Amino acid sequence: MTAERAGAPAASEASSSVRRLGWLYVVGGGVGLAAAIALILEKLATLANPDHVPTCTLNPVVSCGSVMDSPQATAFGFPNPLLGIGGFAVVVTVGVVLLCGFRPPRWFWLGMQTGTTFGVGFVHWLIYSSLYDIGALCPYCMVVWVVTIPIFWYTTLHNLTSGHLTPGGRPVALVLARYHTVVLTLWYLAIVVLVFEAFWFYWRTLL
Amino acid sequence: MPNPENPVTRRSRLSTNTVLTLVVLLAAAVVFGGVLLFNGSKSDGADGTRSGGSTVAADVLRKPDSNTLLDKPGAEVTIVEFLDYQCPACAGYYKKITKKLEEDYAGRITFVTRNFPLDMHPLAVPAARAAEAAALQGKYREMYHELYDNYLSWARTADGSQASADLNGAQARFDEFARRIGLDLDRFHRDLNSETVTQRIERDRADGRRAGVSGTPTIFVNGSEFSPSGETFADVEEQLREQIEQELAR
Repeated sequence: MTAERAGAPAASEASSSVRRLGWLYVVGGGVGLAAAIALILEKLATLANPDHVPTCTLNPVVSCGSVMDSPQATAFGFPNPLLGIGGFAVVVTVGVVLLCGFRPPRWFWLGMQTGTTFGVGFVHWLIYSSLYDIGALCPYCMVVWVVTIPIFWYTTLHNLTSGHLTPGGRPVALVLARYHTVVLTLWYLAIVVLVFEAFWFYWRTLL
Repeated sequence: MPNPENPVTRRSRLSTNTVLTLVVLLAAAVVFGGVLLFNGSKSDGADGTRSGGSTVAADVLRKPDSNTLLDKPGAEVTIVEFLDYQCPACAGYYKKITKKLEEDYAGRITFVTRNFPLDMHPLAVPAARAAEAAALQGKYREMYHELYDNYLSWARTADGSQASADLNGAQARFDEFARRIGLDLDRFHRDLNSETVTQRIERDRADGRRAGVSGTPTIFVNGSEFSPSGETFADVEEQLREQIEQELAR
């Protein structure tokens, strides 16, 4: 470590990375919140009228209905989007306070890490269920997949590079941080490939 | 990047990431585009000619370890037949149509057979078990042929008027077939009633139901159900061959 790195430029870089994270939280969290609200509204409409066809049910594959009616949609005994409304609201709020200049202590970041890790794990379980058990895609749910991954990824990167998680893991963290969008892109691509693979028979009939 | 600490190269550090990301995206776009283009052009003509309309998913029609009569890797045409060994129509198809297809299209298509034993045939499941037990010794095709070539000897009553229910008699015939095709008889007997065999038959049945099969034989050509309009086996054969040729020419 040279003095140059430890000095002002590094500090300002850290600060701007926190600001970027703040924007990600506000935008990603906001989008996730909107999707969760949309899902809850559709759920309520379906409860009120069992014949209601959700706006996001377009065809047998792109179908919120079959996803919302699946047992996985109430993994904890209540509709999953309730978790999203609670969780994403927190993400947006944290984003706003980060943008206001608040620099949280380590325990706060560990809390964010716990929350986003749970979120990303849950989302991947839902992806698996959607592709291989339910056999349908729900657009609002996919919006949640799309925003949860970067929220988790950049929270983790932030915690790794600022030493909140493992002070010893920094070299790896720096490499990951250096290629952050490559990792994110590969991550997204993997899911896109799985989606295409799982529903290939269906896409094929559309072509 | 010799000196990652240099603020000037920090810019190029970022651009390495950007460049790599773009490369990954570009590669993905090329691969996706290629796959779509390739498959798109293959099925473009299908919409006009495919009679059944919707197709059934390939992984419903065929599991990786499903039995085959013909197996051409990457075949342009895959025929899947859901059959019941005791069903007279299946035996008729075999004798008049599919046996010849097997010879004529060897090396050109893939021909998958799936079990769909019907409840109305008391020996359908035992026969399916015999075929699957032979499959476990790598002799599925041989047993398939024995069962159909000697259909009358086990599947029908002595006068041939109705489906036989003589399980012992059939079992004795299956043993004979097993000996003839060189199966390890002890193992054959063990496998006949094994869970593996039961599972395989049930899986085929479940897939058949998912594919909308209700009777036998039901044949799928590249995922779309073959629905013959012909009255005679000869008509049906001609239609089936026509469909195969169309798919091959695509």
